[in-house]
Amino acid sequence: MDVLELARLQFALTAGAHFLFVALTLGLATVVAVLQTRATVGRSAIHARMTRFWGRLYVINYAMGIVTGLVMEFQLGLSWSGLTHFAGNVVGASLAMETLVAFFVESTFLGLWVFGWDKLNRWAHLAAIWVVTLTAYASAYWILVANGFMQNPVGAAPGGEGLRLTDAAAVLTNPSTLQAFWHVLAGALVTAGFFLAGVSAWHLLRRTPEAEFFGRSLRIGVFVAAPALFASAVTGGRQLQLIRDIQPHKWAEFSDGSSAARVGALLMLTSFAAMFFFSLLNVLLALSRRVIVTARLWHVALIAAIPLPYVAMISGWVFREVGRQPWVVDGLLTTQDAVSDLSPSAIRFSFALFGTAFAVLIAVNTWLLARQARRGPDPVTRGPEPVTQGVLV
Amino acid sequence: MTETMAAVLLGFFATGYFVLGGADIGVGMMLPFLGRDGGRRRLVVATIVPFFLANEVWLVATAGLLIGAFPALEAELFPGLFPLIVALVTGWIVRDMGLWSRERAGARVWPAVCDTVVTLGSWTVAGAWAWILAGLLTGVTDGVAGGAVVALLGAVVVALFALHGLAFAGLRLPGRTGGRARFALTAGALAAVVLAVGARLEFAGSAADDATLRLLVPAVGAVLPLLLIGQVVTWWVFRHRVAGPSSP
Repeated sequence: MDVLELARLQFALTAGAHFLFVALTLGLATVVAVLQTRATVGRSAIHARMTRFWGRLYVINYAMGIVTGLVMEFQLGLSWSGLTHFAGNVVGASLAMETLVAFFVESTFLGLWVFGWDKLNRWAHLAAIWVVTLTAYASAYWILVANGFMQNPVGAAPGGEGLRLTDAAAVLTNPSTLQAFWHVLAGALVTAGFFLAGVSAWHLLRRTPEAEFFGRSLRIGVFVAAPALFASAVTGGRQLQLIRDIQPHKWAEFSDGSSAARVGALLMLTSFAAMFFFSLLNVLLALSRRVIVTARLWHVALIAAIPLPYVAMISGWVFREVGRQPWVVDGLLTTQDAVSDLSPSAIRFSFALFGTAFAVLIAVNTWLLARQARRGPDPVTRGPEPVTQGVLV
Repeated sequence: MTETMAAVLLGFFATGYFVLGGADIGVGMMLPFLGRDGGRRRLVVATIVPFFLANEVWLVATAGLLIGAFPALEAELFPGLFPLIVALVTGWIVRDMGLWSRERAGARVWPAVCDTVVTLGSWTVAGAWAWILAGLLTGVTDGVAGGAVVALLGAVVVALFALHGLAFAGLRLPGRTGGRARFALTAGALAAVVLAVGARLEFAGSAADDATLRLLVPAVGAVLPLLLIGQVVTWWVFRHRVAGPSSP
């Protein structure tokens, strides 16, 4: 493989890994924030325990999101200096906004939330998770400002050596950005809903002692996923229309041919259809409290369905990004012209290093996530609070 | 004017990173020295763990601002420093995962593995920074610098990280003395290095277009209070020395 192909593959693997973790993080943060609100406002013990348990899984997952995100930010500078050179005035600026306006606040307040359980008053602690959730949304928005511009470059004109910003409002309200933003939010909630339902089903299937806890969690998962799926269908359909208008070459890939973009689109639609019909069934079954606890076959299906949203998310993303090729900024800059002037050995070195590091880290993270999910929530009756300073959640 | 403001902001975030993030990197480097056994190391890690997230965001912000406000400078620095930045980022993420995962599994073997990873990662990060900063100090911006002067300057920077970590441990680790004056001294030394590097970089002519800066700089200025509130609250909440180790 040449430098361009390696750089593309490296970025695709990094961004793909990042996207998978972000999908769950974004959705789970919302669920945890709502759970903690109910626990705090209603002084509900079971919601407090749910906040702890699902919050712990959220944090484990978040760690991988940060790690992959860091590598991605630096990779943009390392491998794609042609992009920052040409479109830095728009793409670079929105990435800067993401780091400063969103991620900085998000990560600082996440630290306060994770380590502040016994140190902040409960309202301040609740406020922390909401700041984290809302800034996570803001982060997704700013990233999609950059990405939306690369799909549909509006609000900029050629000037000097690259593009100049001419209409900030057009960049910030780019339809390619806004529609993708709502679509990603909906997809993230679907991912979180299936995750909640699947993990809960595992405990119910194994008849662990927490039937009430996981029965309720399963219902939350099902009733979050179903409307979110509907929202993802609406936002996804509108995006297809938009593509037909603004990216005819991507539309051509979608409707005909055998490219990776088309395969991605079809896989996305197939997994969506599977989730949609499964979700209808879930909603019906989840209406009965007895069925929730006893339907073992359904539990197995719910566990098996955990990966479905991931498949849909990643294949939809492949369609969005690969379908834009050979352009990095649609119609203006090719990937060939955007790749840095790197030696083949340099890119091979970084590919091997990041590839190995990610493989190990993702394996460790998945192991920890599964371990924590299996262990279940903390017991209800506790002695005096142990000193847990510096111990995560 | 906006260009100068952007450069000042960049310097502010970079200094913030080296002063704050430098402390937890230094503690990670000195982990085997500060904690001879597993119980004690757990305590040492507990001194930095509530801070490392709030510290590393300063670097993420620095990189973001460099890409957004000085794309030409970024395009010159990053490809030239490629191997060092790759080493830096690798050390960083490995170290982070060590800190994140330490308490998640097992009682002896897994924490020991994580401690080793944190130490190696911290040395890698400090070493990569030392090389990068030493090279920039000698005026090399488009490649990896070499030579005796760079090696000497690099060794000084690595030592500064370690001393800064020890000074931070003096503030939070039971049984260690130090005090704020010593922390301020190592912090000042690291800040001086950053500012010296900043003075050697060519900001003029490498900034983004004025239309972009006129939006970016005020936006950053507007959110700055919120960023700083989060930081101050973090330092206030975790201002005490760590208590005993977690219950068995």
